[in-house]
Amino acid sequence: MNEIITTFAQALEKADVKPDQVCVPSDILFEPETVKRFGFDYFHTTRGRAIAFGTGLKLANPALKVVPFAGDLMTIGGNHFVHGSRRNMELTVICINNFVYRKIAGKSAPSAAQKFSPYSTFEEPFNIPHLGNSCSAIYTARWTALHTEELAASIAEALGKKGLSVIEILAPGPDYYTGISKVNVDLVRFYYDNSEIRNNEDPKNVGIKPDSRIIVGKFTSKERPTFIDQYNAQLSSVLGEKFIPHGIRSGADPGGKNGGD
Amino acid sequence: MKADPSGVLTGTHNISGNYACAEGALAAGCRFLGVYPIAPALEVSERFLQRAKKVGATFIQMEDEISTLAAVIGASWTGKKSMTVTSGPGLSLMMEHIGLGIMLETPCVIVDVQRVGPGLGLPSQPSQGDMMQARWGSHGDYELIALAPSSSQEMFDFTIKAFNFSERFRIPVAVMSDEYVAHLQEEVVIPRAKDITLEPRRYFDGPIGSYLPFKRDEDLIPRMVDIGQGYKFHVTGLTHDDRGYPIMNEECQEYNVHPLVKKIRDYTDEIIEVQEVNIEDADIIIISYGVSSKAALKAMEQARGLGLKVGSLKLVTVWPFPEKRVAELAGKVNAFVVPEMNFGQVVLEVERCSYGKSNVFFIPHGGKGVEDTEDILKAINQAVQDDRIIDRIVELR
Repeated sequence: MNEIITTFAQALEKADVKPDQVCVPSDILFEPETVKRFGFDYFHTTRGRAIAFGTGLKLANPALKVVPFAGDLMTIGGNHFVHGSRRNMELTVICINNFVYRKIAGKSAPSAAQKFSPYSTFEEPFNIPHLGNSCSAIYTARWTALHTEELAASIAEALGKKGLSVIEILAPGPDYYTGISKVNVDLVRFYYDNSEIRNNEDPKNVGIKPDSRIIVGKFTSKERPTFIDQYNAQLSSVLGEKFIPHGIRSGADPGGKNGGD
Repeated sequence: MKADPSGVLTGTHNISGNYACAEGALAAGCRFLGVYPIAPALEVSERFLQRAKKVGATFIQMEDEISTLAAVIGASWTGKKSMTVTSGPGLSLMMEHIGLGIMLETPCVIVDVQRVGPGLGLPSQPSQGDMMQARWGSHGDYELIALAPSSSQEMFDFTIKAFNFSERFRIPVAVMSDEYVAHLQEEVVIPRAKDITLEPRRYFDGPIGSYLPFKRDEDLIPRMVDIGQGYKFHVTGLTHDDRGYPIMNEECQEYNVHPLVKKIRDYTDEIIEVQEVNIEDADIIIISYGVSSKAALKAMEQARGLGLKVGSLKLVTVWPFPEKRVAELAGKVNAFVVPEMNFGQVVLEVERCSYGKSNVFFIPHGGKGVEDTEDILKAINQAVQDDRIIDRIVELR
């Protein structure tokens, strides 16, 4: 997991985004000292609600780069993801998919491929990039945690885009009870070795299936007005000059301290 | 700190409780409203949005009340005063983030325009059925502050008060309105901005790198910073230390959570407010809050007209409950009469705090409309006749 944070920090550098401007709401607990070293503000929020939390952050201070790290994205967070994508809130959603509830032995997630575990995985899984794309997310990609260069490039590209991007990362989570930084490297290696890069593949074809290769890559990238763009356009058209566009003046006030704008 | 004039609509207005609530929020400096539409709370967001354009406030309609309060808490950490408004079914969904707001010690205001429950209940009828849920609904130990307005003017005043408490104590504060107060059209006097005193957020101003998000001042309140100022802070909803790092042991649980309760319990004298009328010579005191206190005051006047020594104690702050004051009065009066628009919630607190020294007569009210003055008068009469000590709440039907 720390490796993902490191890759994320590289992506920030690549995208020329200062960590000061970055806020990470996350339902995943990283090692706090590691997070702190990279210099962004970090909220460990309720399960699955990182996007909802991030929506408030971004709207109340549009100068921020908000990067929700999501674990329970397809379960508790499913509706937030669907609506965040639809609204095109400016969020770079990083979904860490490890197929399981790591702290609860044997419980597989709704993003797990069928037959992923011998007893509990028989339901059809979510195809996260496809779901995001269907709900009008502007950028979708999937990488394994070991595709560090490609992943950093994808995150950097997504950070430069205006709207909701989703990047799925296949990774084994840290096992809480055996030490926070202990990672099952063999499993990531297995995902990496069994992956196939297919950039620009139609996301509907990238579902993870048993006994077939895992398709990774940057799948879609498009442009669409963001929530704040549409909010300003709509209210300006109705109210004319009386309306102060949101995010323009507070952009000059990154602290957001002058709450009155 | 005085109010920002851009949000204050100084003057005398004839507006509903819901509109007055939106005006109170804007006067208090609220610049972020997150909502999920629900009756009978709709007009608060309607009014807020009408006025938002002039004051530069922001509004979002989220996908549910869970995400609404999450967004409100997020917005509050950017330095904007933030609020949400809902009704019973929405309050139920908000419980998760009331807990997070308590744990992250985030100032925010939750307005609950109560309607009849449980379940979907009667969306267009008033109730006071969420009082205990507001106090105990989220899991774990906590204290919060809840205010109960009974008029449009109080909707305005108490919304400002709620923002002040939320900043002073870094806590979510609930304004427990109801459908009746929400839609009652009354005169509201909005003072000049310079006559509205606001509690400023207590900011940390030390050097970057030295900020500890949960390091408490002497009065147990930690200082805040805004996101994006470069303080690089880490906070978590798990049990945490001063740095906001999760620490999974019993010592830290005590260290972290006990002050969450103490920071309110040690300051109840500052927080609790009651309005007392004719208490000095009273044999019987009507304890009421919210819209029920309108009927209570009228019943008191009528009883006085009949020569009965009846007083009224109206709770402005329902939580924390004014247990000291009720206990003081318990030895001195024969009975408390409690009209409530539910089947018995705050009356349990009245009974607890009277320690068996005074009788407690309860007038339940299940739904349609508001408490009837006649019912309160009947209860007063029964309390006068029945002056032996009864070891349980007497529920009148």
